[in-house]
Amino acid sequence: MDTKWKKGKVLCSFMVFAIGVTMLIVNLVPALGIFLALDGKIFQRQVDYQESSQFRSLISGRLEDLLGVATGGKSWGNEDIEPQAFSGVAVAEETVIEESAPGDYWEVYQDTMEDVRRQLKEDYEAYVHEQEYADHLAEMRADAEGEALDRYYNYYDDGYGYAYVTGWTLDDYMKDMAYNKNIRYAIVKQDKLLYTNIEVYENQTGKDWDGTDFSDSLVPEEYNFTLWYNREGDGKVQIVKDGREEDVYGDGIYRDDSRWYVPGYANFTLGESAKDVVIFLAAAKEPQLYLVGDYSGYGVDQYGGRLYYMRQSLLELNREFEKRCAYLIASVILIVLGMILHKNKKTADRKIADMLGKVCLEIKIPLFLFILFTLVGKSAGVLTAMAWKISNGGSYYYSWSGDIVYEIARMCKAGGYLAAFYWLFYLAVLDFNGNRHRQRKPLIRLLRTKDFKYPIQKKLVRRQRTALIIEIIILVAAGVFFSVLSLLYGMASEYLGGYDLWEWADMYGYRYGGAAYGLGMILLILATAVLCVPVAFMVVDICMLRRNRKLAEDIGALSDQIQAVREGSLTENLDLGEDTDLQEAAKNLNEIQKGMETALREQMKSERMKVDLVTNVSHDIKTPLTSIISYVELLRQEQDLPEHVKEFIQILGEKSERLGNIVQDVFEISKATSGQLPMKMETLDMGKLLRQTLADMNGQIEQSSFMMKLAIPETPMPVVADGQRLYRVFQNLLQNALRYSLEGSRIFLTLTEEAGQIIVRMKNTSSVELTGTKDFTERFVRGDESRTDGGSGLGLSIAKSFTQACGGSLVVETDADLFTVTVAFKKAESDSLDGEEELS
Amino acid sequence: MDECVLVVDDDREIVRAIALLLEKEGYRVLRAYDGMEALRILGEQSVQLIIMDVMMPKLDGLSAMMKIRERKNLPIIVLSAKTEDTDKILGLSMGADDYVSKPFHPQELAARVKSQLRRYTMLGGIHAQHEDEEIVNGRLCYRLQERTLYVDGEPVKLTATETKIMELLMRNRGRIFPAEEIYERVWEEPSFAPENTVMVHIRHIREKIELNPKEPEYIKVVWGIGYKMEKR
Repeated sequence: MDTKWKKGKVLCSFMVFAIGVTMLIVNLVPALGIFLALDGKIFQRQVDYQESSQFRSLISGRLEDLLGVATGGKSWGNEDIEPQAFSGVAVAEETVIEESAPGDYWEVYQDTMEDVRRQLKEDYEAYVHEQEYADHLAEMRADAEGEALDRYYNYYDDGYGYAYVTGWTLDDYMKDMAYNKNIRYAIVKQDKLLYTNIEVYENQTGKDWDGTDFSDSLVPEEYNFTLWYNREGDGKVQIVKDGREEDVYGDGIYRDDSRWYVPGYANFTLGESAKDVVIFLAAAKEPQLYLVGDYSGYGVDQYGGRLYYMRQSLLELNREFEKRCAYLIASVILIVLGMILHKNKKTADRKIADMLGKVCLEIKIPLFLFILFTLVGKSAGVLTAMAWKISNGGSYYYSWSGDIVYEIARMCKAGGYLAAFYWLFYLAVLDFNGNRHRQRKPLIRLLRTKDFKYPIQKKLVRRQRTALIIEIIILVAAGVFFSVLSLLYGMASEYLGGYDLWEWADMYGYRYGGAAYGLGMILLILATAVLCVPVAFMVVDICMLRRNRKLAEDIGALSDQIQAVREGSLTENLDLGEDTDLQEAAKNLNEIQKGMETALREQMKSERMKVDLVTNVSHDIKTPLTSIISYVELLRQEQDLPEHVKEFIQILGEKSERLGNIVQDVFEISKATSGQLPMKMETLDMGKLLRQTLADMNGQIEQSSFMMKLAIPETPMPVVADGQRLYRVFQNLLQNALRYSLEGSRIFLTLTEEAGQIIVRMKNTSSVELTGTKDFTERFVRGDESRTDGGSGLGLSIAKSFTQACGGSLVVETDADLFTVTVAFKKAESDSLDGEEELS
Repeated sequence: MDECVLVVDDDREIVRAIALLLEKEGYRVLRAYDGMEALRILGEQSVQLIIMDVMMPKLDGLSAMMKIRERKNLPIIVLSAKTEDTDKILGLSMGADDYVSKPFHPQELAARVKSQLRRYTMLGGIHAQHEDEEIVNGRLCYRLQERTLYVDGEPVKLTATETKIMELLMRNRGRIFPAEEIYERVWEEPSFAPENTVMVHIRHIREKIELNPKEPEYIKVVWGIGYKMEKR
């Protein structure tokens, strides 16, 4: 429960922070935009739309219109043409109007005017084309919400898009003006009232104007803005707003950024034709919509919308700004909350970083770049437009299309993109900081770790197969790529107007500097694509090679180690490193090595214990045996004992002596087999040793029924051995033969040299039948199991042990009743033996 | 004779057996069962020879022997169940005059006792002779002019061949003679397979001079090379 709650807390804190930041960024852009658009006049219930540049622009336009009407010029209705972009044309037209005399305009300046007009029209059309084509719909909407003048436009297709020219009449215009009660006007020419839409004066049109103030007939609360042109006959404009006269001209020079675009500046005068014209304009404080049902025509017509919407827009912008401010405050609160919970947020960050860390770089980097490029591509237009608009700010409301909702949506969109950028980089930085020190996990590594589960042979097969599969995938991908390319090209060539590849190359090259360039580009693309396949193959193969080279080295090290272990190195361990294929095998080998070492140590320990045991036991036996032998001797010395008792004593004596011999034998053999027997190695002559042994045992041999058949050459047969031990060997062998041979048979003893080996072979015929499976050199093994003879059963065992201790070998072979013992020694350098002989 | 022998062993039966045997030979026998007791008896009575076991309680044989050697020069025969050469060498180097390993033959022990006592009691008399007229080697003494071998001061009867062999070996103590050389020098004729002949004589000599002919101390076979007289 606790962890769940904690998890929830972590998630919540991060969500709070994330929502806060996102809201802040998304709302900051529209808030800023609106703030600038409103010139900082925010949080207002009542707005003064007449302060806006749009209003001034509209009024100056209307004034121009009316001047046009009054002077009979044709420039009225131009107010709807974007003045900023088309100012050059507007000025040019102004010039033309100025220069043209009323009435005979066409006749006098026919040729030149036609030229100028045509030129202007072409420029204008080019402009309109460029503009309309891009921003057509927005413009249309703006117009529709304007003075509903669009129905007067004659749209025509100029072959590129839409353009329009005004095709309305003066009557149409005046009718329009009449319905629009938001703007009151009056035109006086030569002291005669020409036109007006002020009800009181409507019936006085055509009559003399006595100089009365038209504004008197209007309610000042309703129409707080009045404009007089040329009232004083000075060609200047007077503006009174809320009963206060405005400073129209400033220093009297018209500039780009002058407040009013009206005649009367020192550098903006009107010609003679406008000298006797007086114009009055009044604007409503709170404009309304004027709807007129014209069901014979287009249904309900809307008039006065421009001013109405101008004000409404401002109101709406205020409301919108308030809304955005509320969002911003909310987002700030959320961010502050997130800061309070920053510990949990840090945990969340770490968790996200961990999650990102699990994604391999091969995916992360392309994904990051893809999202980044997509965002840049998508947002570039909106963001630059926003930047432009914001930098121009509200001082130029024309940069806004009329649709506020649309504009705000666009700003929100820009904000959204900014937020997306923010989060993209946030995650990138998080990942970079969190996982910089962590071991990177490329995709290929993932494959390899999976690899580890398999045994080496499967691993190798798998690896080969993986490489093969990757290569097949590359091939298939290349095929698909080329198919799609050709398909796309087919489609594209249709789209490009049926050009084939070479024609396209030609054309492309034509545009960018020659056919060769275009062809080169195409060839480059193709060559790159074609080269990609073998290069990819090579990369795959090189990866394989690198891994397999390590494997080969490891196999070498492993086999060396096996060799070393075989030769008895039990302490040096093999370390192949963590990430190697043969790590498991090396580990196993090391364990085997360790096991062997332990076993050897255990064995040596147990051998030593055995020797100690035998030593102690034999010692413990010897002491009572000494008593036995001594008392038997005392008994033997008793004079008056019956004969049979004396016989018993004789037996006791023999057996106790034999017991002593057995104890001694056991003691010696245990020492010999455990390698603890002290040896005195010297070079000696095997022939002499055999002869000495035979001489030593001559008595026994002569007493026996056997005949010795000897083949011992006089030539020296040098061996390196301990003479005392070797004497015991042959003594035991001979005693063995004398004891177990068939009565009256011959015993053969030969000494030969064969291939650098000194070989003593003794053959005798066994008195009992020999079974082939017995190993006579084992301790306490005899031809027959009854053990009633005088031997200890250790003779051959001792002989073998001593032979081996001297560095020779003793082999017992039986063939039917033939018993053969072969003792072999490596022949020693005879020099030392000769030296001995010379010494003597 | 009233030579007094001190027998020391923690095994009472062995002490008794040895005592009985030696008493039969005519010796006076004192008995002790550990090293301390032995030292005590030595301090109280006159003892001519000690037979002592190595492994004993209270004070072991070797330690007791070292203590005895601080004061007395009487012969000591060490008994031990250990038969290894190292033990033997250790025992002898620490002052033992002889070393007998268990199980021993009582007759052999008696012979050794006799031999040791003879040498001990006859000290000085032998050495009156000039050195160039006799060759002394342990218990053996060969008088060149007499062409006689003395063992423990008593002359030993040897055949002419045996005497020749003994003279050769005594003159060249420690040197190894191959059987051929012995044959050629003694018989003064070329040899053929001389080991048997030489060995027969050596065996006879051993029976006359060795305390235990089966484990000779003086004439030794150097297996695979020849024969030699051990330097004592």
